[in-house]
Amino acid sequence: MSSISTGAPVQLPSKPRDTFKLVVTTAFVVLFGWSAISVDLKWSRLLDAPADMYRLFKAMYSDIPWEELDRLAGLMWDSIAMAWVGTIMAAIFAVPLSFLAAENLVGRPIAWVTRQVFNVLRAVPEVILALLFVPMFGLTPMAGVLAIAVGSIGSLGKLFYEIIENIDSGPIEATDAVGAGRLQRLRWGVIPQVAPELTSFLLYRFEINIRASSVLGIVGAGGIGGVLADTVRFKEYGVAGLALIVVIVGTIIVDTISGAIRRRIVAGRTIDIGEAQMYAVDTGGLS
Amino acid sequence: MSDSPLRLPPKPKPSPWTVGLSLGMVVFTVVCARTVGFSFSGLVEDLGRTNPVAQGLVDISWGEMFSERSRRAFLETLQMAVIGTTAGAVVSLPIALWSTEVGNPYLIPRVLLRSFNNVVRAIPDLLWAGLFVLGVGIGALPGVLALFFFSMAVIVKLTADTLDGIDMGPIEAAKASGASHTQMLRTAVVPQILPAYSSYVLYDFELNLRASAVLGLVGAGGIGQRIDFFRGRGDWSKLWGLVLMFFLVVVVVEWLSVKIRRRLV
Repeated sequence: MSSISTGAPVQLPSKPRDTFKLVVTTAFVVLFGWSAISVDLKWSRLLDAPADMYRLFKAMYSDIPWEELDRLAGLMWDSIAMAWVGTIMAAIFAVPLSFLAAENLVGRPIAWVTRQVFNVLRAVPEVILALLFVPMFGLTPMAGVLAIAVGSIGSLGKLFYEIIENIDSGPIEATDAVGAGRLQRLRWGVIPQVAPELTSFLLYRFEINIRASSVLGIVGAGGIGGVLADTVRFKEYGVAGLALIVVIVGTIIVDTISGAIRRRIVAGRTIDIGEAQMYAVDTGGLS
Repeated sequence: MSDSPLRLPPKPKPSPWTVGLSLGMVVFTVVCARTVGFSFSGLVEDLGRTNPVAQGLVDISWGEMFSERSRRAFLETLQMAVIGTTAGAVVSLPIALWSTEVGNPYLIPRVLLRSFNNVVRAIPDLLWAGLFVLGVGIGALPGVLALFFFSMAVIVKLTADTLDGIDMGPIEAAKASGASHTQMLRTAVVPQILPAYSSYVLYDFELNLRASAVLGLVGAGGIGQRIDFFRGRGDWSKLWGLVLMFFLVVVVVEWLSVKIRRRLV
């Protein structure tokens, strides 16, 4: 093959320069340097961290209290139920609100205001919302449900209005052409278009919310998080370790089932809502 | 025109899958609602009840953010988020490469790494923080470590998903011109995912900033510690002042980040 090469040196095209990327990268590096130097943190402690974590691991798993498994599994189930009811409640509120955020339905100003409300709701973590709801509902799962519901309205609403704005008008015209009534138009022209994406995103949000609901108990809002907080306070490392396993296994089981359903829902559609796209949707920004 | 009546095509029946799924979701919702003790009347009653926490939201103390301690806690939050994100981003790229078929042709290591990723992803940010507080004590260090693992979970997952859908053409070209595995990754794979990857890193930074506000509730440093302090004292108007100011900052950072991400992709 070497016979092909000629004597002339290969002239590579010059690399494209991108000032914008250079600026962003530099800014990030400077920010990182400043943070690493000025943060109130003894970096030497980082070297001891692996040994510390190993000691903790041994304290947690040298003597696992299996008799607690039933109680912990029950609490994990509470967390899952909280996540689901919260997600459904959020969807119930998000659908009408998303109509107010779709530019093709209401005017620009109203849509803009509603979107800012979504953005603020999306920005506040569930744990902070739980601080607000625990005094109202007491130390019950309902406080957690409300925290998750309010926390999810923003991102669900955002996805819903994007779906509404991008709906294909063809099927609607078709239903009009065959003389469909308002309800029939909605049933055959709109719902079939949006249902798979809506369901898929609902399930995806449910997966995210399980992660939130399993820690809400730390501030007293029900579920398995409360056990974690208590065991830490009373230094029951064995129970904490088992609770950690229960959280991980429970989350992975739900992820697997929900993920399989989502894949089945979007299978065969041209627009596959991959996880990456959904994250992108979740953060599409202040448009 | 014939006299035969107009015949409509038969209505498509919903598939057993659709019926089953809808039914399943309804049943699941009812079971879950019972588990959490859901009731409409209770909901309305409890929401209407006056309580000091909601009262604090009404007479909010806006100045709290500018007090010396809160400002320092806020800076610490920012620094924790930056360090956690950067460290997480650096390790995420190779891990993402190794957990996909393009970067790692060996099945068993790939499956092992993917399972590890799933476990990392199943642990929420606050739980990571709690674990590290138990292990290495309170302060900013457990917070940084928690954000590091949390970043890894997010960035690896998103990048690996992007890697699964890249164009195979450049890879073939690189292989055909005799590139080694590393050279192939460097010239054919990484340039394809770099814009998406950078955008995920920025997105993760937003998540981390948001998360680092609450890490302090379990003792992992940052503004959450101030929030926890006011919570302990029951000083709700200052707590809400701090929270609202912080999330104003988060919304601004998010807005900036979205602008940058739009240009990157």
